Amino acid sequence: MSAIKPIPPVAIEKPKAKVWNGARAIAEAVKVADVDVIAAYPIRPYTGIMNSLASMIANGEFTADIIVADSEHSQFEVVKHASAVGARVFAGSSGVGLAFAAEPIIVTALSQLPVVAAIGTRALDDPGNFGMEWSDALMFRDFGWLISWAKTVQEAADMTLVAYRVAEDRRVLLPHFIALDGAAITHVATPVVPVTKQQATEFLPPYRPPYRIDPQDGPVTKAQHIAPSLIGPEQRKTIDVAQKRSKQVIAEAWKDFAKYTGREYPPFLETIGMEDAEFALIGMGAYMKDIELVASRLRSKGYKVGTVRLRYVRPFPAEELINALGGVKAAGVIEFGYSFGSPFGTGSLYHEVATSLYEADTKPTLLDFLFLGGREPTVEHFTQLAEKVIESAHKKPQKKTYWLTLRGEDI
Amino acid sequence: MSSQVAFKNIKEIPPVDYYTSGRRTCAGCGPAIGYRLISKAAGPNTIFIGPTGCMYVANAHQFLTSPYAVPWHHTQLGGGGAAAIGVASALRTLMLKGKRKLEDINVVVMGGDGAMADIGFSGLSMGLSYDYQRLLYIIYDNEAYMNTGVQASSTTPWGATTTFTPAGKVKPIGNTRLKKNMALVAAAHPKVKYVATATLWPPLDLMNKVHRALNAGGPTLIHVLLPCPKGWFTDPSATVDLSRLAVETGMWVLWESIEGQFKLNYKPKPRKHVREYLAPQGRFSHLKDEDMEKIDKMIEEEWKFWEESAKLGRLVVPY
Repeated sequence: MSAIKPIPPVAIEKPKAKVWNGARAIAEAVKVADVDVIAAYPIRPYTGIMNSLASMIANGEFTADIIVADSEHSQFEVVKHASAVGARVFAGSSGVGLAFAAEPIIVTALSQLPVVAAIGTRALDDPGNFGMEWSDALMFRDFGWLISWAKTVQEAADMTLVAYRVAEDRRVLLPHFIALDGAAITHVATPVVPVTKQQATEFLPPYRPPYRIDPQDGPVTKAQHIAPSLIGPEQRKTIDVAQKRSKQVIAEAWKDFAKYTGREYPPFLETIGMEDAEFALIGMGAYMKDIELVASRLRSKGYKVGTVRLRYVRPFPAEELINALGGVKAAGVIEFGYSFGSPFGTGSLYHEVATSLYEADTKPTLLDFLFLGGREPTVEHFTQLAEKVIESAHKKPQKKTYWLTLRGEDI
Repeated sequence: MSSQVAFKNIKEIPPVDYYTSGRRTCAGCGPAIGYRLISKAAGPNTIFIGPTGCMYVANAHQFLTSPYAVPWHHTQLGGGGAAAIGVASALRTLMLKGKRKLEDINVVVMGGDGAMADIGFSGLSMGLSYDYQRLLYIIYDNEAYMNTGVQASSTTPWGATTTFTPAGKVKPIGNTRLKKNMALVAAAHPKVKYVATATLWPPLDLMNKVHRALNAGGPTLIHVLLPCPKGWFTDPSATVDLSRLAVETGMWVLWESIEGQFKLNYKPKPRKHVREYLAPQGRFSHLKDEDMEKIDKMIEEEWKFWEESAKLGRLVVPY
């Protein structure tokens, strides 16, 4: 083995913090990423990102073409094809907007085009609902998109730059969603340390796709109709391989990101108090802040509670999760998405966690807590569910899945 | 600029093809002949976008060959309008930002009637509202979803039998909707520089219209009628003859609108009875004489407007 070359020290710029909401912070990250083509279509709560970008472009803060599309379907078609030509692109949507764009979204992954898009998570219709739910983003967990989930506005902005770096890496070439909890991230203003233009340029190499749709690159024919007997399964396998490879690329990218910005993140799981934990609360997104508060309060009362936050749903960090939960007696999955009619009526995040734990040597009791329909949970709800998890370690629980409903009979 | 003629006679058509072998279209396929002429006229610096349809599926091959000698990218059935905007936007932005050398590149969408007049209608309209140059939408109109087995679209003519609008005992006519006029729809977009209709006959008319469109300085659309032996139930050798008969019976009107200036390209004198166009086609074989008379009368009425438009030099909406 050759010796590892030492990384030369980089002078880290320390720009002043700004007070930005998630939408603005993402837009600022897109700006310093030197994105070329953006496609917009309005739907709450992600729209603010596009409002910010449009205003930056109108004021000459950076050069990009912003296409005002006629629908989400067109929006994702625009960026898919601009990406195929060699442009760095950005799109986004929420709720039923993503459902309408499902066709080009799915095709983008299977075509291996590194589109980066933000999701302001929102409840799906019917009835119309501005509340936050995860089922819009989790609709796309099976098609090859990389999906990361932000806890803070700062992390959302940082994830955007890392997303371009990972998506465009030749070992990966997959599109990337950054999921932002609707309202909780998109609309909440917090202090954010921006990534500077110089940091972004050094961290993010220019996008160079291997086969561009451009006469300069000769007569490339892309996404030709195929005979399944010839390359059907092989083509699917390339996506599988790219997803598996992305784990290493993600780990590298976050390590490098810390080098340039001084902000360190664990690549896949953020664990707090898990070293000696007997009980674990597992979740993602902005409400983890509340859940972490609940865990620390319970710790001060003598309960060994820890939290596990997933930063990526795709690729799903199964080994990391198994390791984090080793020695835990009981755990609860806290989620805002549903999967009606599924085993035990749990949400889809529970399925992912339970599938991972099936391979673990010791399996904790696993409960599922569903916050659906967009109603905001409170610290009180999280406290009650944490108590349920603690109780389940010594008393067999009556059921696996608990809901927050109007009468609150479940939690 | 926009009225220029690239090809004065057949001998001037370049021998090089950009749509060549490696496909499995039906014998006598109108859209395939159209693709060949259109790509010849567009030349080598062209990117083709292919929404799903015959010219996607039938241009593929069991052995992964490709008939395209220029860059080509599939897009979804309803994605033609937006995909072309994505390509045009990327090219322009990359050139503007100095990430790619400056060059004229044509972006041509070959969308079928289903892809452009039905499912991709909204995206097409969006595309026509932008100002990208060298952007050409071709509707290759074989008047039904032929690839999926001849189902009616909104450009299927009145009286045609299709698998979704079969002529039967209770419904003897078949398709009873009237053909959507996509060139008129395109002309209603104020940014559009050039709109035309064409068919395989005369071939130079089609090729010169492609040339004019690509040099018009904005988004353009050509609605091209292309006979389909499979769905029209016609002899493969009759494809070009049917194109000619469509024009000579007045069923298909050759016109162009250059920055709003209307020009009637061909006026049949005397106009042949539509029976000559309908009778060779199996899809109209259930029609009675009175039905054919009805169609002929509709053509007669519509032509008054085309002639009026020609006289005024601007479009008069005939419906």
